[in-house]
Formats: sequence, C-alpha cells, structure tokens
Amino acid sequence: MNHRMIFKVLGYLLLIIALGMVTPLIISYAHHQSDTIPFAASIAITASAGFALTRIPLKNKVLKVKESLAIVTFGWLFSSLLGALPFYLSGSIPSYVDAFFETVSGFTTTGATIINDIEVLPMGILFWRSFTHWVGGMGILVVAVAILPIMGTGGFHVFKAESPGPIADKIAPRIMETAKILYRAYIIISLAEFALLMFGGMTAFEAAVHTFGTLGTGGFSTRNSSIGAFGSAYIFNVISIFMIMSGANFSLYYSLFKGKWRDVANNSEFRFYLGIIFVSVLAITIDNNFHIYHDWFESFTHSLFQASSIMTTTGYTTFDYEKWSAFSRSVLFMLMFVGGSAGSTGGSIKVIRILALIKLIKREVTKILHPRAIVAVKLGKEPVAEDTLLNIAGFFMLYMLIFILGSVAISLEGIGFLGATSAVAATLGNIGPGFGFVGPTHTYSEFSVLSKLLLSFFMLLGRLELFTVIALMSPKFWRREM
Amino acid sequence: MKVIIIGAGKLGTKLATSMLSSDMHVAIMDSNPIVLEKLKDHMDVLTINANGARKEILEKLNISTYDLAIAVTSDDETNILISSMVKKLGCKRSIARIRNPEYSNQLEFIQKTYKIDHVVNPDLATANEILRYLMESYTFYFGKYAMGKVSLVNFNIKNLPAFMNKSVSELSYMDGLLIAAISREGEVIIPHGGTVLKENDIIYVMGQKSKIDGIAKSLHQPVGNKAMKKVMILGGGKVGYYLAERLSKKNIAVKIIESNLDRCKNLAERLNDNVLVIHGNGTEANLLEEEDLSEMNAFIGVTGFDEENLFMSLRAKQLNVGKVIAKISRQSYIHIIEQLGIDLAINPVNITASDILKYIRGGKVVSVSLLLDGQAEVSEIIASKSWNFLGKPIMDLNLPKGIIIGAIVHGGKVVIPKGNSVIQEGDRIVVFSLMSEVPKLEKFFHLKDGR
Repeated sequence: MNHRMIFKVLGYLLLIIALGMVTPLIISYAHHQSDTIPFAASIAITASAGFALTRIPLKNKVLKVKESLAIVTFGWLFSSLLGALPFYLSGSIPSYVDAFFETVSGFTTTGATIINDIEVLPMGILFWRSFTHWVGGMGILVVAVAILPIMGTGGFHVFKAESPGPIADKIAPRIMETAKILYRAYIIISLAEFALLMFGGMTAFEAAVHTFGTLGTGGFSTRNSSIGAFGSAYIFNVISIFMIMSGANFSLYYSLFKGKWRDVANNSEFRFYLGIIFVSVLAITIDNNFHIYHDWFESFTHSLFQASSIMTTTGYTTFDYEKWSAFSRSVLFMLMFVGGSAGSTGGSIKVIRILALIKLIKREVTKILHPRAIVAVKLGKEPVAEDTLLNIAGFFMLYMLIFILGSVAISLEGIGFLGATSAVAATLGNIGPGFGFVGPTHTYSEFSVLSKLLLSFFMLLGRLELFTVIALMSPKFWRREM
Repeated sequence: MKVIIIGAGKLGTKLATSMLSSDMHVAIMDSNPIVLEKLKDHMDVLTINANGARKEILEKLNISTYDLAIAVTSDDETNILISSMVKKLGCKRSIARIRNPEYSNQLEFIQKTYKIDHVVNPDLATANEILRYLMESYTFYFGKYAMGKVSLVNFNIKNLPAFMNKSVSELSYMDGLLIAAISREGEVIIPHGGTVLKENDIIYVMGQKSKIDGIAKSLHQPVGNKAMKKVMILGGGKVGYYLAERLSKKNIAVKIIESNLDRCKNLAERLNDNVLVIHGNGTEANLLEEEDLSEMNAFIGVTGFDEENLFMSLRAKQLNVGKVIAKISRQSYIHIIEQLGIDLAINPVNITASDILKYIRGGKVVSVSLLLDGQAEVSEIIASKSWNFLGKPIMDLNLPKGIIIGAIVHGGKVVIPKGNSVIQEGDRIVVFSLMSEVPKLEKFFHLKDGR
C-alpha cells in the first residue's frame, strides 16, 4: 500500500477541515462570543497537523482501491477526531469522547446529540456543529476530489467508496467535474432554503444553521425542542419540502437543470421514493387526526414533517411523536430502514436497494411458478447486473445483522428494548432521534463511554455504507501485496 | 433493367428467381463459390465470386451501368457500406437489408445519411404481418388492399359443403365476391365459370370487406374472436423479439420460449415486465403444456427450424389454441402445410421479396404480395392516364390468361368487376396474377419502366 500517498491526502483533508473552522471563528469574533480563542487554537492544531502531513515526499502517486478505502475511512475518522477540538477546548462538551461522538454525529449527518441544553452554547460552536452536517452530507472527500488534482484517476475509487447507493454514476466524464456539478446543485438549493427560512422570520444565523441541518439531512438545531420551537407551519412545511429534496438523488437536479424533466419524472427510484412518502404521510395523517390533532391541516403538517424527517434520516422534530399512536410510530420505525435515495445526503438502506430487493423477491416468486423462466431485475428500463444484486442482498443482510447484534450489545445498558433497538437503528441509519430512551425529548448523554464509542462506530459504518469500513477490518486488507 | 444482387442467401436467390420471371438482367455476387456454383446450374444469371464491398471489383463490373443494386449479405454493416458505395460509383438505385433490432428505430436516418434508396428489415416486416393477423378477428389468413376496403381470404372447401362439387358459375350468394384462384394439390388454377370445386381445394376469395365478413359468419368462422390476452411465442430470435415487444405494448401477456440461455437473458433485459422469458427447447411438449399452452389465445412458432415451428403449431392446434401461426422458410413444405390446418404459415423471404418487388415497380404499384409461396401475386395499382384502355369495358381488354382484375376502387367505392365494368384514371385496381404471367402483367400495365 502507498502509505505516503494516503497520509498526504489526509493532510490536505485536514487543511480543508481547518478552513471550514474559519467561518465559525469569524462569527464568534464578530459576536464577541466565548469560543473565539478555542476556535483559533483548533484551527492552529488542525492546520499544522495537516500541513505536516502534506510535506511527506511522495515516491509515486499510485492510488488504488485499497488506498482509496483507507483514505475514506481514515479521512472520516481524522476529521471527526480533530473536528471535535472546538467542542472540547471551549468546554462546551467537557468529555473528549462526548465531543468525538457529537462530531461523528455531525459529519455523518446523524444529528444524535449528547448535549442536554443546546441553547446556552456559544454561536461559533452552534454554527460549527451544523456546518459539519453540510460538509458531511455531500461527502468530506468529495470536497477533496473536487479541488485536489493530486488524486487523479484514483479519485473515482474515493468517490465510489464515499457516495451513497449501490451504483456510483459519473455525470461528467471527469470525476472532478462531477464533484463540482453536484456541489453546485447543493449550494444553489442551500441558498434557496436559506432565503425561504429568512422570509419565514428566522435570523440569518438560525436560517443558516437549519439549512445546513436540512440539506445534509443531519438534524442539529439551535433549539432544545428542535424545529417545533419556531411554532410556524410555514417553517415546518418549508423544511419538510427541503428535507424531501435532500433525500432525492442530486444528479436529478442536474438533469432538471439540463431540461430533461422527463428523465426525472420517469426515474424509478425517485417515483418509488415519493410513493413511500405519499403513502406513509397519508396513513399517519389520517391516524393522527383521529387520535391527537383533530385538525386536518395540523395533522398533515406534523405527519409530513415527521415522516419525511425520519425517512430522509434528518431527525428534526416538530412534535413529540412518542405521543402518537402505536400505528403511526410503527410507520416511523419502518421508515427508519428505508432512508434516502442513492446519491442523496440521506442515510440508511436507501430506496434503490429496497426497490431492487422487492424486484428480486418478485423474481424468485416467478421462478417458483415458472422454474425455467429467465427474469431480469430492472430499475426503470435498465437491467441490474447480477453482481450488483448480490451486493445489494449482501448489504441488506449485513445491515440487519449489525442492527440485531448491535441492539443486543446496546441492550446491556438496561435502557429497555425499544430504546436499545431504536438507538442502533437511528445511529446506523444516520437518523438521530429514535424511540423510548432515545426519543425526541431525550439525548444520548446517558450512555456509557463504551456505548458512545460503539454508536459512533455505527454512525461511521452507516454513512460509509458498511462495506468500505468492513473491508478495512478484514485481515486480508492489511496483508502485504498479494 | 440491370440488377445486381449481393449476397446469394435465401432472400437473394428468391429475388433473383422473381426477377428473372419478369425479364430483368440479374447478376449475383457472393464470396462463397459453392453457393454460386449451385445457382448457375438452374438459373440464367451472371454469377460473380467476390466481396461486394471492394471498389475495384464494382468498377470492373461497370456498376454505373446497373439500375439497381440489392445488398442482402448476412451482415448489416456490409450491406450499408455496399449500398452506399454503389450509389457513389454511379449505380442508379440501391436497396439494403438491415436486420439488427438495435438499428430498427433509425432506419430512416441511415437511409438518408448513406443515400440508400430503400431499406428492408425482413424480421420486422414478418413480425408486423403476424401482428396484423393476430389483431384481426378472422381465424383464417387474409390480405387487405385499397386501404382495407378490399379483402382477400382463403377457405378450405371442406368447410363449405354447399360449394363442394359445384362449378363456379353455379354458386349462389357470391354477389360482390370473386374466386380469384384455387389451390389444388399444390397447383394454382385460375378458375373460369365451368371450374368444379373439389374437396380439399383452397379457394382465394376477393371482395368488399363487409361481404367477406358475411361469408365468414355463415361459415361459423368466428368473426368477433376473443380478445387477445395471452400469446405464446416459440423462439426468441429477431422476429420473436419484435413480436413480443409490440404485443407487450398492447398490454398482452406474452410468454416467449427460447433455447439459448444467453439470448434468454438478453431478451429478459430488453423486454417489458409483462413478457415472461422461459428457457427451454421448443420440442419439449411437456414444457409448453406446463406453461399453459392450452390457455393461450394464440401460438406463434418463429424458431429458426421449420420442423419445430410446424410440430408445435400442430400441437397447439390440437389443444384448441385460437390462432396458430408458424414461420416456414423452406419452400417445399408449403403444400403440406395447407392441408394441416395451421391458420397461417408465414415466409419471411416472400414478405421481403414482395416489398422489394413493389419498390422496383415504383410509384403506381401500391402493394405487391406473394401468395401460394410465390406462385401467384396480388398487386394494387393506380390507374395511369398512359393506359390506352381506360374507359373500355373489361371484357374487351384481352387480358392475358392468368391475370384477373379482382376489384376496382372508384371514388372510394369498391366494384367487383363484371365484363362491362370500366377502369378510369386514378382508380385503384387490385390484380391477381400467376407468377408466370408477371412479365405480361408488367407490359400490359406499363410497369416495366420503373417509376
């Protein structure tokens, strides 16, 4: 393995992270907040570590699959380790493990927090906390791919390992160009939401923080009671729409920009994605209207918000959904295992995999009825390769295995069955809030250090879609060239 | 007219045969000397053993003196290349056969880009012909002319006891209908008033569509057949693919049985989800029955093997499948098939040959179809003012024997001609003719000059 190359790229990555801390530093300084010095120190530490790594002389620039997997996994780990510095140094989060948990939760766009009172935190910290969502949503390394020419063709492996979904597609012939196009769409949509939230009466600061949380499908807020604190149906619905937009494949916006709206309308994953949201929202709107709200508009607003928040793995809340009926909560629990579309910022299993699995099951049923039938699994008009199907089935298996074994491990905390299972589902799926012990009115602060580390690991596993991290853990990976 | 045919396969040979009977000079080129050797023995053609895409060979042949080049080699790209080259080298017109289904949506574009005058796709034409038959309510074969106003159908006299052992002039309720030909033991007879119909004769009846419907009803041949819902196709070749694709678009459930596994996978990937691809051999009768052959509204045998198509079609007929169609490419079977009760035996070579012949004859000829495996043809011609017999009663025309004017469409009305009927400029006439009489037909109706 080309260790020098790995560390050099990681060095550049840390420089980007340090650069990302400059905005919170400016905000903090401008508003005379208490966290100015800690940010300056964090930037100094991160930047010098990064600078030192970039000075490593290279023997060659070879970047193969193995190196790319290592860069992605360690890139996320290093970013989280150093990204935790401002929380720790400012004293906002006294324990470094907690600060690390919070940063992983930020970068992986989970939005699970260990902070019980958010509203007392200084502005720089609040900004940084949500900004990690925005950066992590599109991918930390995509930034590096987009601006660093040194990765060359190896960039595609990195892009593939980091981008969500079973099939990584280039929209432009060059990977750098693809990354730039995606980021351009990301920035334009962000600006749109920012403007609409400002129009709804938020301050520029709050509008920015919540835009980061929505676009990255993260879920960190500035208020203890999340979006519900704003008490405005306009804000609820704007955020609902942008959450749904962020859970769709971003390359669709490029198609839309190119005027190929027909491609978007016929995209089978997008249709299925909207279909799931539509049916779920319809079901729980009706259920909630009779049980709680007794007002159709209110019921619809909260149901739409909560269903899209959980499904796109954002994790914002407008209402304590623990008060909902068992049926509505079960629908939410089910949505935790669906997630966003491929190529979105959402987490969990992903709509495209669910769709492919359903078609795979359909095929097996056909094969029982017609043993000699040859059936191709197709998404839209495109046939899915047998290898990809196996990969998807394997992914689903592994996801469920980690969910079940993880729940067993977390249940040792003695937090109840629902708390343990939903904590694993909510971290592995990068959602944030779960049910019971980790419900919308609770935080993750009560967990033991060991569980916090395990849950952080689940968040990374989920964000990097299992195989990238699992491959790194196999002994074969570390054996010398074979 | 000087014609060169490049590629001496089934279609090339068939075309050469048809053209010779209409008095053209035909040269055939092929890179396989053995095939040419066989041709030379029984055909009056010039054979050239060479690769038709070589410029110097075409030049040596004086290609610029030819009126038409027809590229029907086994390779689409070669056909396109040849048809484009000969035009550049001075040949007047060119025709290319293009079969690849992936090109089927861009034939017009190819034609324009390479300056090819006409493109034929035999598999697509065959599939369309089958489809046309499937979508109609008859259970017997028929042709449509004059934009559907005139029909041609065939009946077996077995089913018409009232007709048996009677002469044509004795037949009642034939008003507005015409018996154009009789096929007896594989031979075609053009009937006259005294011809007596025998058991097992197959008669070709031409007439106005509504009249034909009436006779079909009286025969208890169902007219309003059950709607097509389920179709089984045996053979996933090009014809099978086109058929399945078009049927599935009409929301018909299609089962397609193909013996090549890779081809099965390919079909499954390209066809819609309401097509079920089954991997299996058509000769396994059990498989077909397990897949509910007896429940089908139609069965279509389009494998590359005539025998397989034929056997399984017979099995389907036994199981009372509504419509049974078999693709039969070999000429010699056609006489047996007539007696077997298969609803339609279709020969792709004939369909393509008809298409090319129509093209050669040019503007005035609206359609040409070959019947009875090419022993006879039906052409639809628009009456031209150059005809010196316009306005004269038909009985005075001295039409050659073996040529019958089956219908005249005048001002949108169909007239089944009697002796005193007249043809006027702009009428469409449907003419039935024996193949051996085609040269006379062309001379009579001034078709020889091309367009």
